[in-house]
Amino acid sequence: MSGRMFFYYKSSILLLLRTRWMGPYLLLPPMLAFMVYAEAYLSAQGVTGIFNLQQRTVLAIWNASLLLTLIAGIKSCLFFSRLWGSFWFRNSLSLPVSRSSGFWGPLLAALSVATVMYLLTTGAVIAALPEIGRFPWVQVLAELYVPVIWAVSAGALLGLITSGTAGSLFFVALMLLGFLTGMPSLYPSSGWLQVVVPPVGRIMTLSLVFPSGLIQAVLLLVHSVIVLTLGRFLYSVGIKRK
Amino acid sequence: MTPYISIGGYSDPPRIPHLSFEVNRGELVALVGGPGSGKSNLMKCLAGIRKSVRDSIRILGSVPGSMRSRERSIFVFQNFNYAPDIFVRTQLEQRISLIRGVPSREVKDDVHNWCERMKLLDVCMNYPGKLNLSQLQLFSLAPVFLTSPSVVILDEPLRNVSVSHIDSALSLILPARENAAVLALVQKLSPLLEKADRIVTV
Repeated sequence: MSGRMFFYYKSSILLLLRTRWMGPYLLLPPMLAFMVYAEAYLSAQGVTGIFNLQQRTVLAIWNASLLLTLIAGIKSCLFFSRLWGSFWFRNSLSLPVSRSSGFWGPLLAALSVATVMYLLTTGAVIAALPEIGRFPWVQVLAELYVPVIWAVSAGALLGLITSGTAGSLFFVALMLLGFLTGMPSLYPSSGWLQVVVPPVGRIMTLSLVFPSGLIQAVLLLVHSVIVLTLGRFLYSVGIKRK
Repeated sequence: MTPYISIGGYSDPPRIPHLSFEVNRGELVALVGGPGSGKSNLMKCLAGIRKSVRDSIRILGSVPGSMRSRERSIFVFQNFNYAPDIFVRTQLEQRISLIRGVPSREVKDDVHNWCERMKLLDVCMNYPGKLNLSQLQLFSLAPVFLTSPSVVILDEPLRNVSVSHIDSALSLILPARENAAVLALVQKLSPLLEKADRIVTV
């Protein structure tokens, strides 16, 4: 029974482990570690001495999450669009596999890869810091993981409804919108805008403020669930129409 | 006795206005039609990945696409069954284990022996793009031989097979009809026509 449930998960993992998909992810940890070293060095030289250690730590994890969200979203759009549009995937539906796992399997595989990269990246960033500031790092790590979930979910929906390139462009635009509205001077004024615009930026600027950070994380999780529900619905419509 | 494959009043206008026939266990039926005659669409309907106009098809007594219709059936598509970015042997092992319902490690020896017998051992640890079409077609047909299906449905199974591999391909397909209903969708002049028990034309 388990083989039927995990066929697409295993196949997707094998596909995602190829250099084409992993290359950009693998650049993240060293790139961010370098940024942290550079920032720490410049700070010690008095060049950017405006941040204390706690702020620098949060900023470093924020950078990691932001870059990873961007890469995970773009890669997910490309991956899902290619996978679900392929002859192989359509033909494999004739195998004795659970057809709903054709949606959840690749999704979990993409999320697994992104999660491992998140842990590696934040690990690399924290390791690169001279010392960890006193701050609720578990809370920050958990809240800043939500954008990664959102990115993979949005990538799945966009990969279903459009081509990989168009989906990636739309994702970047959506993320940029969410990021900009996280700037304190650009917070959405009306209530419904605060709910509709993905709080990717707000979750970062408010991650240390309780309960605002938690509220933004829950809101982004709700966004992810809505996007996934819509994606699952469109997937089931799609495989019946083909 | 319920026919293993039953097509009653299938239509795909304007190419196929009406099609009805049955395939029983122990039979090899060839459905003959020219290019663009709707054979591949029928194949998709049989596999349950395309809706037919009328709900007129039954595989092992079940609606196409249901788990029961797929559990003991093998579908070999014209455009092969392999993902471009995973080793062919890995994919074959996955498929065989899935159809047999056993872990992949339990089918490794059978797959190895099959590759050796077909002289494909040196190419099996490659991506599908590295194989020629004839070798790829043999890999697509492998599950027919390596499992014990009740229903085998093939879309142009010998179309890409080179002359030197025709006998090998036939040796994979023909033994299946002992216990299964075999439906082959082919064009005129296919070597399978000589071996078929019945020929249906669209």
